[in-house]
Amino acid sequence: MGVGGELASVKSGVRVVSGGEEREVRLAPGVAALGDRELPFREIRDGGGEELVALEVAGEIFPVRVARAGDRVFVWCAGRTFEVRREIVAAARRRSSGAADAGAGLLAPMPGRVRRISIPRGERVAKGDVVLVLEAMKMEHAIRAPRDGVVTRLDHREGDLVDAGAVLAEIS
Amino acid sequence: MRVLRTAREMGIETVSVFAEDDAAALHVSAADRAEPLGPGPVIRTYLSIPAILDAARRSSADAIHPGYGFLSENAAFARAVSAAGLVWVGAPPDAIDAMGDKLRSRTRMEKAGVPVVPGSRGGIGDDASLAAEAERLGYPVLVKASAGGGGKGMSRVERANDLEAALAEGRRIAAAAFGDDAVYLEKLLDRARHVEFQVFGDGRGNVVHLGERECSVQRRHQKIVEETPSTALDADRRRKMGEAAVAAARAVGYVGAGTIEFLLDAGGRFYFLEMNTRLQVEHPITEETLSVDLVRAQIEVAAGAELPVSWRAGEPVARGHAIEMRLYAEDPVEFLPRSGTILEWIEPSGPGVRVDAGVGRGSRVGVDYDPLLAKLVVHASDRAAAVDRGRRALAEWVVLGVETNLDLLRDVLASDAFRSGDYSTDLVPSLLRKERAPVPDAAWIAAALALRGERAGRPPETADPWASAESWRP
Repeated sequence: MGVGGELASVKSGVRVVSGGEEREVRLAPGVAALGDRELPFREIRDGGGEELVALEVAGEIFPVRVARAGDRVFVWCAGRTFEVRREIVAAARRRSSGAADAGAGLLAPMPGRVRRISIPRGERVAKGDVVLVLEAMKMEHAIRAPRDGVVTRLDHREGDLVDAGAVLAEIS
Repeated sequence: MRVLRTAREMGIETVSVFAEDDAAALHVSAADRAEPLGPGPVIRTYLSIPAILDAARRSSADAIHPGYGFLSENAAFARAVSAAGLVWVGAPPDAIDAMGDKLRSRTRMEKAGVPVVPGSRGGIGDDASLAAEAERLGYPVLVKASAGGGGKGMSRVERANDLEAALAEGRRIAAAAFGDDAVYLEKLLDRARHVEFQVFGDGRGNVVHLGERECSVQRRHQKIVEETPSTALDADRRRKMGEAAVAAARAVGYVGAGTIEFLLDAGGRFYFLEMNTRLQVEHPITEETLSVDLVRAQIEVAAGAELPVSWRAGEPVARGHAIEMRLYAEDPVEFLPRSGTILEWIEPSGPGVRVDAGVGRGSRVGVDYDPLLAKLVVHASDRAAAVDRGRRALAEWVVLGVETNLDLLRDVLASDAFRSGDYSTDLVPSLLRKERAPVPDAAWIAAALALRGERAGRPPETADPWASAESWRP
């Protein structure tokens, strides 16, 4: 495609993930490299050049809208919506090596309120037991033990508000 | 918002009430006046009868319309509004009481000659008697909360061994959600359809029905797509169900807008399920096909008017076909509510498209309220055209920042089952096994361009400790 020289000047790209997919994307003026594929593209902007409203990729026009929050980008593209995250390889590795057993933590699947703690810290649990109950949008969600063990960590009390992804308990 | 719009068209001055956190919400700026309910959880704001009556007094309001959430089906509120000398634009409190308890309403309907879903007799019993009832009905059965609604406290039980746990769980949820732990059993009808009839009474002896709404597309026992007319009814069945709906409403002396919900089994038999003594979320599809304004009719009836002559004249004639699609902030697989800030919001428009939204760009979607963000209603000359219009409109809808069920709605409308019209309440589960289509190249490039933004001198929208340490520097 004759753009190898331009791309070579880009030292590194951005590694992004969406759902189960992952891509290394490198950008140079008018051309993007997705993995080992090179695609010519053109940005179509509105609102004084601020807002990206479409991308022409390899001659085809795709309407797009993007909104970014930190390392997360929400993308609407031709009628479908995707959430794309910047993959931070080093950080992810550091975090997983820090936790003794990554599978042991019970994470909040959504933001909500701790409604009830069924099994206090130090108690034994069997796989499938309800450890605590989370409430969000007036609905209750049972958080169950993924396996047999002892509740070694339980940072919250009944009534506490928690964020999505917060560690609710650990079972060892 | 829905009510405010009609009131404005009728030249009625409006007052919104709002909790402190909602000072910037759409319903506040759309009214002529807004009265604060103060800070705190919903129990002290939108669910507080004294706080709302106080706001009504401060603003010298004449009437209260309760909308379709919160206190709309609360008989005590209805009585308090009337006692305060205000006009209640809602169902009579006695009818709310009669239909609010599912067990009692079942008994009442049986007496009125309206068929009900086979279920436990006498209802509230101990585990042993309910287990015996379950055997009599035959598994699978549904455990339901007598005071319930919206699928809360409801669970499916496949075999006798699971019944005891399901009853305990149902009682606990019912006690927490409704302050009443009574549960009962119903026979679970497989491949059933959920069809409801809009009814209207004027308190002067007129009770009519305004046709049906097909509500079988559900997840977690909650509707996500509704359409009218239903593909499951022929003229004869529509007439019979309509008559049963009117009989049900008459049996409780109903006034105003209400909905009679039926289950329709694969053999075409129908059963009374429950009555909603308020305007339903899905009422717009009826408005579109009949060219009526149900909120206007509610206000007129509350002011003492008779139902319109054309409604009293007989069977309403629907023109064309309408479909409603509900946009929820939720994850698309387990349907757990999602929260966040809406960073971009572009509504669909064009011919035959109506959007009733409670949010917009910049709105904060919290954990405390219902995650319903908006309703998309399309109307077209026939069903095939309405489905095409729905797909077109969904493809125009841009909602960024909070995960929604937009893709699921798209999958429903694109499915062979929905397009053929031959579907039942198991439609959504059958679609979840579908594999997700790959992310298009353009979306990857757009994301990379957005992430590059900080290099161009635009600061990221939120501070992120990882960004500084690990960010991509070309």
